[in-house]
Amino acid sequence: MARFIAWRIAQLPVILAVVYLITFGLVWVAPGSPYENNDRALSEAAKNDLKLRFHAQSWEQFLTYYPWQIVRHGDFGPSLSYEGWSVNDILRSSLPVSMALGLVAVFIALIGGSAAGVTAAVRRGGLLDVLSLGMALVGVSLPAFVVAGLLIVIFSDWLHWLPGGGWGELRQIVLPALALAMMPMAYIARLTRSSMLDTLGNDYIRTARAKGLPRWTVVWKHAFRNAFLPVFTYLGPATAYAMTGSFVVETVFNIPGLGQHFVNGVKNRDQTLILGTVLVYAAFLLTLNLLVDIGYAVVDPRIEVEARQQ
Amino acid sequence: MMRLLTIPVMLAGLAAAAVYWSNDAGGRRPDFAFINRGDNKCLDPNGMSWMQDIRVAYALWEGLYTLDPVTLTPVLGCADRATVDSTRTVWTLHIRPEARWTNGDRVKAGDFLFEWRRFLETPGEYTYLHYYVRGAKQYASEFADYVAAKEKGGTTRPAPDFSIVGEKALDERTLVVTLSDPVPFFPALLAFPPFFPMHEASMRPFRESDGLHYRLDFTRPPNLVSNGPYRLAQWSFKRRLRMVASDYYWNRANVKSRVVDQVYADDGLAAYRTYERGEADWLSDVDANLAAQILAKGGRDDLHVFPAFGTYFYTLNCLPNLPDGRENPLADVCVRKALAMSIDRDPIVRNVGRLGQPPSRTYIPPNVFEGYSSPPGLAYDPEQARKLLAQAGYRNGQGFPNLTILYNTDGIHADVAQIMRRQWLNNLNIQMDLQGVEVKVFGQMLHTQQYAVARASWYGDYADPTTFSDKYKSDSDDNDAKWSNAEYDRLCAEAQRETDQGRRLRLLGRAENILLNEAPIIPLFTYVNAYMIRPQAKGIPLAANAMLMFNSVQVVR
Repeated sequence: MARFIAWRIAQLPVILAVVYLITFGLVWVAPGSPYENNDRALSEAAKNDLKLRFHAQSWEQFLTYYPWQIVRHGDFGPSLSYEGWSVNDILRSSLPVSMALGLVAVFIALIGGSAAGVTAAVRRGGLLDVLSLGMALVGVSLPAFVVAGLLIVIFSDWLHWLPGGGWGELRQIVLPALALAMMPMAYIARLTRSSMLDTLGNDYIRTARAKGLPRWTVVWKHAFRNAFLPVFTYLGPATAYAMTGSFVVETVFNIPGLGQHFVNGVKNRDQTLILGTVLVYAAFLLTLNLLVDIGYAVVDPRIEVEARQQ
Repeated sequence: MMRLLTIPVMLAGLAAAAVYWSNDAGGRRPDFAFINRGDNKCLDPNGMSWMQDIRVAYALWEGLYTLDPVTLTPVLGCADRATVDSTRTVWTLHIRPEARWTNGDRVKAGDFLFEWRRFLETPGEYTYLHYYVRGAKQYASEFADYVAAKEKGGTTRPAPDFSIVGEKALDERTLVVTLSDPVPFFPALLAFPPFFPMHEASMRPFRESDGLHYRLDFTRPPNLVSNGPYRLAQWSFKRRLRMVASDYYWNRANVKSRVVDQVYADDGLAAYRTYERGEADWLSDVDANLAAQILAKGGRDDLHVFPAFGTYFYTLNCLPNLPDGRENPLADVCVRKALAMSIDRDPIVRNVGRLGQPPSRTYIPPNVFEGYSSPPGLAYDPEQARKLLAQAGYRNGQGFPNLTILYNTDGIHADVAQIMRRQWLNNLNIQMDLQGVEVKVFGQMLHTQQYAVARASWYGDYADPTTFSDKYKSDSDDNDAKWSNAEYDRLCAEAQRETDQGRRLRLLGRAENILLNEAPIIPLFTYVNAYMIRPQAKGIPLAANAMLMFNSVQVVR
């Protein structure tokens, strides 16, 4: 088990390095550079800064020096569109917010989605099943800004139960986390439902029921544990996605997160910001997938046995 | 089952930790919070030009003169005595002894000289204001040559001598400024950020190796040392900018709010909701559509709409050739006048503006400067416009090349551009295309004449018509139209030398008359400011230039 973990951890920097290289390659190949005299050219002050800190007087020089700067100093460089701010400043200010929002959203999605999916599978064909499938369909189909807008109108403007945005109080997390959680929750519900239907058809479930174990013990303690695996697999990338911010939810709720920087970076051709945000997202994704892989062993004892036997 | 539960428990734990980590208000609620007009771009007075930065600068620094919180006219600030000699060109300013920086240091004459010299050596957008000082322009251009020569390959040329500039320190607390011509509004200039002092010692660690530029990190807390009523306590990117009252400010007894927060909101609607939630006491730039709707619906007395110190106009490229190389029809003044006279401003302010913006035929907002009578400008006369166009050789629009109207995609500009295009098509039979770009790109294209017809605007900075008229002098860096008229320049120069205020304003009036008749610009309307102010928030003046002094602002709970 420990060897398995160690092997996976060792792979992480290699995969990350490959991702980095591909991203750099894409930026290199992309037409236009901030040094050219076009309408998106860098100001003299910014070019000066790049020259002094990165020894770069051309775009190619910058891109060559940049990876070492990241690895050695953790310095993602200056933002090319927000003069005077470094990408590190921007990340430091917005990443915690996106992470908090994303984690809460995933938590809601996990609890809500699993409960809905399990109930739907157990009461198959019944009203709850139809309802939960309907909710899943709506959650997957409705775009985030529609969900966000609806939530604000209902809970903030009509009912005055919750504030419609901003960041600072705990109450302000509820609505945006709900809006962000809609899609993963729907997905998890569907995944759980089909996986549970699969598991519930197994022999050992019938055995457990035949032995007289209470129904919900069988469902949760026995069936769900094994049905959970696909959900757990999805949880990795879903968390990475949620944690790195959703542009729409953040704009509508006025949340100072990372999502806006993905979009604005592209809009403003801010290559360093794009690189920074993409690399952060990649790192999160890889780490979370690794955690999920390790977690397999925790969740499903069958996997640990297989690994040991190997 | 317990094993499975570790996952949601871990998630919940991580979420709680992240929530705690992301909180930046530090627990203390501000005494006053406001939403500024967009992001802060740059808090170095050298690089400042945007309204939102200048607002914050007025809180952080104080010039020799400052602005009265109610009337926003210049009053003595960091200086406690100011005299001018009989020629009205030599100003002697005495810094008050109790003036201190936010770190306790005394404010010295050298602090002013340091920044004023810096403005000449590393020019910014407002360096041209320093050219009123004798020798400043010469020093600036000599220094620029010196830097260029040094970069090319180290000559042994000595640096230019700063003593030719009429800015001297008689002693640690006395400044003598010699202007090349009498400038009656010099106190207003001294109150404006380009004439603020800077604390050199705190900036020194951030000086670049060229000895001239400073990394903008010095504007970030805790590095920034300023001399105004507030110090910069916190500045998180696109989240919050917090200012705390300075314990060393000489007039700290009159600073009403101790903690002032600037809250960010990118989107107009999100900004409005932030205000509604109570997170902000003042929304300084209400989204135009929203304001129009609220105004139409009525019933809200916290929305204040009032005329602003700025004009919305269209600018026409006056260079002989268009950016793509074609011959420029707008270089002909008859064509420009035709375009100007075929625009009916009424549908624009009624259907697009919707906030009661006064339509304007003049560039300088009328009835703003006492004693200044605005010229009439060009009236809406489509018949005459058609005649002029025919005179220029494009009868009924035949043969007129296809031009493009450039605008930035925020706000009402797209709608205005469509109306302009339709009117030109209907009245002159001229076809034009529309091109919308984002604001940063727009600014670049405008500044480098990469356009034929473009929307534009100009806000005044200080209380004198020259804050408008200077823009269209031939040598002005801000002359986006690249329009040049010798008589206009001559009148402006004569006005600069004129000591009698009445005669001076008449000269400027004649200059504006030339500008309007030659039509490098087509004025459309005077801007309005739209504020939303919580009734409990006091001390925010409804000022045309949208400025305020934070020391008088207070929320009465």
